[in-house]
This record gives sequence, C-alpha cells and structure tokens, in this order.
Amino acid sequence: MKDRSLFKALAVTLTVGWLAVFVIVPNLLTLATGFLTRGEPEFVLPVLTFDNYARLFDPAFFDIFLDSVWLALCTTVLCLLVGYPFAYILARLTPARRRLGLLFVIIPFWTNSLIRTYALIAILNVNGLFNAALLWLGIVSEPVELLYTNTAVFIGFTYTLLPFMILPLYASIEKLDHRLIEAARDLGAGSFQTFFRVGLPLTLPGIIAGSMLVFLPALSMFYVPDILGGAKSLLVGNFIRNQFLVARDWPFGAAASVLLTVVMGLLLYVYWLCHKRVRRAEPA
Amino acid sequence: MKKHLLALAVLLAALGMVIPAQAADKTLNVFIWSEYLPDEVVADFTRETGIKVKLTTYESNETMYAKIKMLGGKGYDIVVPSAEYVSRMAAEDLLAPIDKGRLPNLTNLDDTFRNLSYDPDNGHSVPYMWGTTGIAVNTDLVPEGQITGYADLWNPALAGRLLLPDDMRTTLGMALKVLGYSTNDTDPAHIEQAYLRAKSLYPAVKVFDSDSPKQALLNREVTVAVLWSGEAYVANDENDKIVYVFPKEGVNRWVDNLCIPKNAANAESAHAFINYLLRPEVAAKISQEMGYATPNKAAMPLLPAEIRDNPIIYPPADRLTGSEFETDLGSAQRIYEQYWSRLKTGR
Repeated sequence: MKDRSLFKALAVTLTVGWLAVFVIVPNLLTLATGFLTRGEPEFVLPVLTFDNYARLFDPAFFDIFLDSVWLALCTTVLCLLVGYPFAYILARLTPARRRLGLLFVIIPFWTNSLIRTYALIAILNVNGLFNAALLWLGIVSEPVELLYTNTAVFIGFTYTLLPFMILPLYASIEKLDHRLIEAARDLGAGSFQTFFRVGLPLTLPGIIAGSMLVFLPALSMFYVPDILGGAKSLLVGNFIRNQFLVARDWPFGAAASVLLTVVMGLLLYVYWLCHKRVRRAEPA
Repeated sequence: MKKHLLALAVLLAALGMVIPAQAADKTLNVFIWSEYLPDEVVADFTRETGIKVKLTTYESNETMYAKIKMLGGKGYDIVVPSAEYVSRMAAEDLLAPIDKGRLPNLTNLDDTFRNLSYDPDNGHSVPYMWGTTGIAVNTDLVPEGQITGYADLWNPALAGRLLLPDDMRTTLGMALKVLGYSTNDTDPAHIEQAYLRAKSLYPAVKVFDSDSPKQALLNREVTVAVLWSGEAYVANDENDKIVYVFPKEGVNRWVDNLCIPKNAANAESAHAFINYLLRPEVAAKISQEMGYATPNKAAMPLLPAEIRDNPIIYPPADRLTGSEFETDLGSAQRIYEQYWSRLKTGR
C-alpha cells in the first residue's frame, strides 16, 4: 500500500514537474518576451512595450495569417473528403484486412515527415514519378509543373496530415451501432438520408477531432512550404521562425507565437463545446 | 508533502545520473554550411583519432549566428562563419582564440589568406574555403550569351524560371551591384533602392534555395540560378550545358572560416580537427569533392589538373577584376535586416 502511494506521488510529481518545466515556463517566457523590446547585440531589452502585440494587426502580418488559415482550412476539408470514405471502408472490412489497412495508414509514421517531404520532391518534379506516369498514360504531352507551386504545398500538407484525419474518423465509425443504420433503412430512409441524418451526426466527434488534428499542425508546419513551395509563400510558422533566426526580432516573434497559441486554444475550446453538446445529445 | 519531497529526490537522483554521463561524452559538435564537408573526411578523422563527430548544418550566416548567440558560444565546437561574421562574432566575444601552437599545419595556408583584415593575425579564425557567387545558366534553354550580368535577370522572358538563394547579403548585394553600388554599401538611401530593385524581381522567382540550388537546375525546374561557385561546379560536372557566368557588374567573393565558439566544450578536439583539415591531402580532397577553392597552398599540387584549372572553382585573375569581398556592415546591418525581413514578408 505504501509503495503504491509513493508511486502515485512520483507519477503526479513527474507529470506536474514536466508540465511546469516544459509547458508552463516556456509559454510564460514567450508571453513575457512579447512585451519586451528588441535589443542588439542582446536579443531582448527589459523595456516594457505593447508595440509587438500591436504590430500583429499590421496588414502585412494579417495577410500572412489569413493565408495560413485559408491553406490549413483547405487542407482540412480535402483530408476530410478523402479520409471519410477511406475510414468508412476500412471500418467495414473483415478484422484481418482492417488490421492490414490500419498498418498501411501507420507505416509512413516510421519515417520522419521531413524526409518524406523531401521524397515528395522526387515524385513531383518535372522528371519525377508523377509526371512520368502521366506521360506514359498519355494524359499529358508536356510535363506538368507542380513542384514549387501552391498545389505542391497543398499536396504535401494533405499527404502528411491525412492519417491524423483517418484515425479518429475510423475510431468513431467503427463504434457506430450498425443497428441504428438498419433501423433508419427499415423506417424508409434512403442512403442519402441515412448518411446525413444518422451516420454523419453519430460520427461527428470523429470529424471534429480529425479536423483539429489536421488544422492545427497545418498552421505551423513551416518546412512544407519551404521545401515544396520554393520558400515563396510565407506562413505563420515560417514567419515566426524567421523572426527568431533571421531577423532576430525575438519580441515580435514571441508575440506572433502567442497569437498562434491563443487561436489554437480557442479552437480547442470550440472543440470541447461541440463535444459536450454531442455527448449530451446522445441517449444515455 | 513528505512523499512529494521524496519523489522529487528520486527524480533528481535519476537526473543526477544522466548529467555526468553527458559531460563525459567527447563528441565533437561541428556546425557547418550544408554540403560543405565530405562524410568521408569526417569518417577518416574519427578512425584516426577516435574522436566522434556530430555534424549539424545551416544554410545562412544569420541562422548560425542567432544560435551561437543564443547559446552564449556553447553547444558547438566548430562553426564556419563567412568573413564578415568572423569580425562581428569576435567583436561580440563569441569566439575563442585560436591556439596556433596546436596547429602545426597552419603553415600550409597560402600567404594571401593569412592575416586578413577581418581577423588580424588569424586570432580567431582559420580560412576553410573560398568561392564566388555568380549565375548558372542552362544553355539548353536560354541562348548562350543572353545572360552576362545580374541586370539580365530582370528580363521578362525568365519570369518563373529563376532561382535565388535564400540569403540576405547575396540578394541585396546583387541589387546593389545592378545599381552600380558596392556590395558593402552602407548608405541607407542606396540600400532602400536595392530593396526596391530586388523586390521587383521577386514575382519572377520560382524557388528560393541556398541549401542545394543545383537540384532545381539539374531537374530543369529553373533555367537560371544565382548560386555559389561550388554548386555551379557540381551542376556543370553533371550537365555541361549548365555554365557559370561571372556577372559583369563584378563578382562577389567570400571566405568561410573555421572558428571555435567561446565556450566550446571540446576546444582541444576542435583544434585537432582544424589541424586535420589543414593537411594538404585532406584540403585537396575537400576542394575536389565540394567544388570550392582551398586557401591551402600545399594542397594545390595534389589537386587533379581538371580541378585546379577549372575556371568555376579557381577563376583566372581576369574574371575576378572588380570582384569584392563581403565585409561587416557595422550599424548598417540592422538596415539590411529590416529590408530583408520586408522582402521575405512581401511588403
């Protein structure tokens, strides 16, 4: 019994200590740095100012932010459109095939996503596999220029983040009580109505969770636009990185990063609200 | 409360066991430009001395400087800043003095690369390699002779076919040259003009890449690229239609230098590594492999003739007329950075 309480104390201390050292302190430092002044040759001067947060409303930064949100949103929608049927089919397979299918979804995680992004260059470039296939099939006569365009960034995001959409969707579709679908059919609902009025609402938690898991990383994955987009389109992630490493304007970088954290926090709050509503709507 | 204290003690004890193990680790941490040191050279060094080497790469002086500054000169044992950053970092006391007693091979250096203005008497740096920044053209796709200088990059026919390095000094320096100023100009009005000129070229750029610009050229994604001579050499070696043009406005030269950060953990191994790189046969191998010029005089006779006589790597003197070395900008650095930041955010 005594051992167990020591273990409990150890686990609690470890968790709280971990969160304090690696989450709370860094975030507080970032928040505070945002209120300080840029310094040279030191990075920050202890002079209080609201300038950095005010500069976030500068149209130039705002445009970058909107571009990022738009790209992340498009990625989420595309992942959802591809991921939903995929997860649905996966959940309807025999258990053995299902395990195999899940394995195929997970295998790419064994390779670092940065390396997989570099691999996409070999696929998307003018002499790459994708163009070779299109030419061979006779679909195009001239290679399509994909690499270093926004389309390539979009493909990179969707490819990297799709599993994050599929897995939560799969979990909620698999749990779906098939008798409810059958009941809807028996009561005369067509496939369309069954899907939109029974299937879709019941898998909503999976849709929301998947969308969050895709949308939030898509806002900050700076290396995908750098590598596949030719470093032309600047997203919030690149912007923050540049403020810290190139421009050495730490306070402004910190302010931008706080904004991103706040936006993500708000989205998680919305997620929690939706989740609560969905749970309440479910029969006990 | 007691229990929590006990738990904390257990955790600290566990940490205590990890930290000394870290300190005893004798790995040499080398922070260097990407594609700048052959793996083979590193492996040979480890085989001979038993010192393990961990290689980390960067693609701009700014990034390297920000990290060293942030870490207070700790964390890495070797860094390879360009000349203007050597003087800057030495002035900010971020570099350890070079102990020449430990570098017997220093005598191999060519006299013209010793005691340079950015580091008198080589107090903090040992030249590693030098090169030029110029224009590579794929003559399969752009007629030879169409591009003779930076000004030709603004030709609308090249729109969407252009690669620029993701590098502040190169980009703004190029625009300064087009305007007829020095690449080291510190007049704010001139810098602003250069910024506007560079900005007008931005919509025509397809890729910004200073890691490995040769790839986009070889894949024919771009037809014209502003790049370092070594990248051009490798591209030309693989496809001889890709030629290197020394811009008629005057070419930029640079020297990168081996330095030891102020608080490096393994200064002794760092010296051993620098001394190793100064060996004639090692310097020759690096120059041959990477396509940049070595400042090592003793290495020159060991180079194959096709490298030694290659005009991209070792340009004949007449190609270097009007060439400039990039120097420290002093207080104008901040102005450059502001415009660079605006260029990058598209303002």
